Amino acid sequence: MTPTWLLRRNAAPEPGTADETAEPQAEVEAAEPEAEVAESEAEAAEPEIEPESGPEAAAARPPNGRLRKAALAGAAAVLVLGGCGFLYGAHQLRSQAPARNQALTDAGATTRVAGDVGNALARVFSYTPDGTGAAERSARTVLDGRAARQYETLFARVRDDLTDQRVTLSTRAVRTGVIELDGDRARLLVFLDQTSHRGKGTGEDEAGATTAAAQLTVTARLEDDRWRIVDIKAR
Amino acid sequence: MKSAVRLPDVGRFRPLTALALALTLVAGGFAAWAGQDWYRAAHDDRAAYAAERDAALSAGEQAVQNLNTLDHRELKRGLDLWASSTTGELHEQLAAGRDEFATQVKEARTVSTARVLSGAVTELDDRAGRARVLVALRVTVEAADGAKTDKDSRMLGELTRTDGRWKLSALGQAPVGGTSTG
Repeated sequence: MTPTWLLRRNAAPEPGTADETAEPQAEVEAAEPEAEVAESEAEAAEPEIEPESGPEAAAARPPNGRLRKAALAGAAAVLVLGGCGFLYGAHQLRSQAPARNQALTDAGATTRVAGDVGNALARVFSYTPDGTGAAERSARTVLDGRAARQYETLFARVRDDLTDQRVTLSTRAVRTGVIELDGDRARLLVFLDQTSHRGKGTGEDEAGATTAAAQLTVTARLEDDRWRIVDIKAR
Repeated sequence: MKSAVRLPDVGRFRPLTALALALTLVAGGFAAWAGQDWYRAAHDDRAAYAAERDAALSAGEQAVQNLNTLDHRELKRGLDLWASSTTGELHEQLAAGRDEFATQVKEARTVSTARVLSGAVTELDDRAGRARVLVALRVTVEAADGAKTDKDSRMLGELTRTDGRWKLSALGQAPVGGTSTG
């Protein structure tokens, strides 16, 4: 009868008396505890003790096993779906517009782009009557794309006048704010002061100086670790 | 005498159950990892700071626009909007000068309409609830005779967060030819 081998399973092996049925049972032991954990999780309501013998055992097990498998599969599916839901949620949070815009959140990069763009504007819009070449050279290094074309058109039109009228222009970025910073692209709002002198007086002849305010939105692009202005719009 | 121990479920080895179990454990691990990833994203300081920055900017732009908009036919509404857009010192100044100002505008019969051209946050202290904004603004003033004039101005605003909302606590034109930089 069954009680005999069940008892023996817990006892020390008895050489010579071991019957064949004991062997496979002992092997199953190792695999079972894990399964038990899952059962207690997935089917807490299910009675753990099963009939050990008799025709009922054979009849009761298959539906139980199937139920267990179904419950495990269901749990796995729920977990996978939940995990995907979390991942999707995390992606949504990270790709939101506010999070992508690094203006101020990346303080170092924000300061740098603001400084670079402010300096670049000051350099390309500052010149002396005899020294427009310096401004134009600066323009070639810091302007690109549409901004470079705009600048060339502008300078081609006024270059002769500048020399004739002895115009000195000095430009200063008074305030610079980064509207948007996304990796290698940035949009900035820049408040400029442009002081121009006509005639020979440079600096000392303050009476001939006029200061004008300008508001620009500037688009810049990071190329070779340098911010270059690609578009300028007067506001 | 020992009695028969009723061992739970000593049965056949069931590879399918073991497989299902392993899959469930893997799925559980995946769910746990995804969950903490989501938690980190949801509690990201940077994202919260970025959201605060955008809230400050939109509130700042709106407030600057409100303070440059006034219709002599709807003075009460306009000035109430001024009051609700501001806080602190600026709020008190506006409240103190409200009646006098209302009389002036009524006599002048002007309609001012402001439009924000561009704006940016330059400083944000989200713990202290303070921020500074730059706003480029175009104000259209319609005089009593219907003549319209446009004026562009560049404004510097200081915002203070009060009861979870950003309000203007100082507002001025960026000085032209001044010495400040930044």
